[in-house]
Amino acid sequence: MFAFLNKKKKEECVCPIPGKEAKEAYIDMKGVNIFYGSNRAVKDVSMRIKHRKVTAFIGPSGCGKSTLLRALNRMNDEIDGCKMTGSIFMNGVDILGKKVDPVSLRTNVGMVFQKPNPFPKSIFDNVAYGPRIHGIRKKSTLDCIVEKSLRDAALWEEVGDRLAESAIGLSGGQQQRLCIARALAVNPEMILMDEPCSALDPIATSKIEDLIFELKKSYTVVIVTHNMQQAARVSDDTGFMYLGELIEFGPTKQIFQRPKQKLTENYITGRFG
Amino acid sequence: MPEKLDDDMQKLMSDITEMASLSKGMLIDSVRALKDLDGDLANDIISRKDRLYEYDDRIEERALKMLTLYSPMASDLRRIATVFKMITYLTRIGRYGYDISKITLHLVGKPHVKKLIDIPRMAEIVAGMIDDVIGAFHTGDLDRIADLAERDNIVDETRYSIFRECLTYMMEDPSTITRCTDYIMIARYLERCGDHACKIGEKVHYMITGERVEIS
Repeated sequence: MFAFLNKKKKEECVCPIPGKEAKEAYIDMKGVNIFYGSNRAVKDVSMRIKHRKVTAFIGPSGCGKSTLLRALNRMNDEIDGCKMTGSIFMNGVDILGKKVDPVSLRTNVGMVFQKPNPFPKSIFDNVAYGPRIHGIRKKSTLDCIVEKSLRDAALWEEVGDRLAESAIGLSGGQQQRLCIARALAVNPEMILMDEPCSALDPIATSKIEDLIFELKKSYTVVIVTHNMQQAARVSDDTGFMYLGELIEFGPTKQIFQRPKQKLTENYITGRFG
Repeated sequence: MPEKLDDDMQKLMSDITEMASLSKGMLIDSVRALKDLDGDLANDIISRKDRLYEYDDRIEERALKMLTLYSPMASDLRRIATVFKMITYLTRIGRYGYDISKITLHLVGKPHVKKLIDIPRMAEIVAGMIDDVIGAFHTGDLDRIADLAERDNIVDETRYSIFRECLTYMMEDPSTITRCTDYIMIARYLERCGDHACKIGEKVHYMITGERVEIS
């Protein structure tokens, strides 16, 4: 249905559009370092993020997990003085390479932030914003995309009959799901979530978590969270970061039941952080 | 919050120590009451049953509260999960002491078929196993439970030995059948207590290392 969205790129640009066959390691990070000026916020991180799985980054504030997350769609490019080294291969293409167009990359790698940030527009226009940017003007096509995106974000049942209303009037949880629908509308392969539930109440949080569980059937999801129970509930793999280093990375069950590193054990049992 | 969690964990472990002491005491004393055909002691053990169940309920309540309040992870979670299983095994061990005491009340006034040697010996080995699994639970010392399987084998073999010996007595003199049947039953109870000690040992091993083992 979204075939028409397959991005038209300038000739010199390379965009990692996923192949038909699912690959075991969708993201392969090798020796990633991220600097803010002279401060090395992420230190030599290597890990493999699996295709259509949920991967969680946990760690105390300032450990570099959000910075690492933002590296996956080159959002750090927007920060003055930020420099990245190493490689992040997405379906075999190094997205840190100069030939990769960050804008095309971000179409393929959607992002949801801590606080819901809907545009001051109608619900419909929020979701249709991305497709319109990509040149889709036909009303019936936009209707179709908006409905599918809202359904995928588990919001259609709640707002399907009031799409013309302002998105600002939605509850916090609904706004967050709208932001997820907005990300889905441009048919990404991967969704990044930076503490998506930290501003939500438990019921809205539960809905987002249910949604993440559904999303992983079609998308690769990477989530940063301070809520360890949430990481344990929703993720398949978990990485624990501390002072910019990836201390431990592995199956979530292992990390939360019998971590190999003492530092991980101390953090998840609340002994520090 | 970790300090509060640690405080509550200490209380939980202290409760386990008390419950294990009560449970093991019921078992050991019941075998002593059997050996001496002491009805007063048997009745005293029977009266301890309510306290045993109170510990079971209280510890379960405390562990559930800790899960709710602290959402423990890793070693804390494994320790609390172990406690949930331990209280069931400890209750059963104490309950076997209660059952042996009930049997003893029937035997009071009738002399033993022979001097009891193997049954007290089984009880002693099982008590040692209980001491060591509880000790390992507190100290994390795996050496204390390293030879549990071997000790359990001795308990199992002793049980079969008692069974064969009782068969001989019953065939020789049918008037011993009731008493010998009771001995066989008691040997079976003690053998089960050894199994429960092994199960606790498995849980304690998992708590300490995160790895599951089978002790049998």
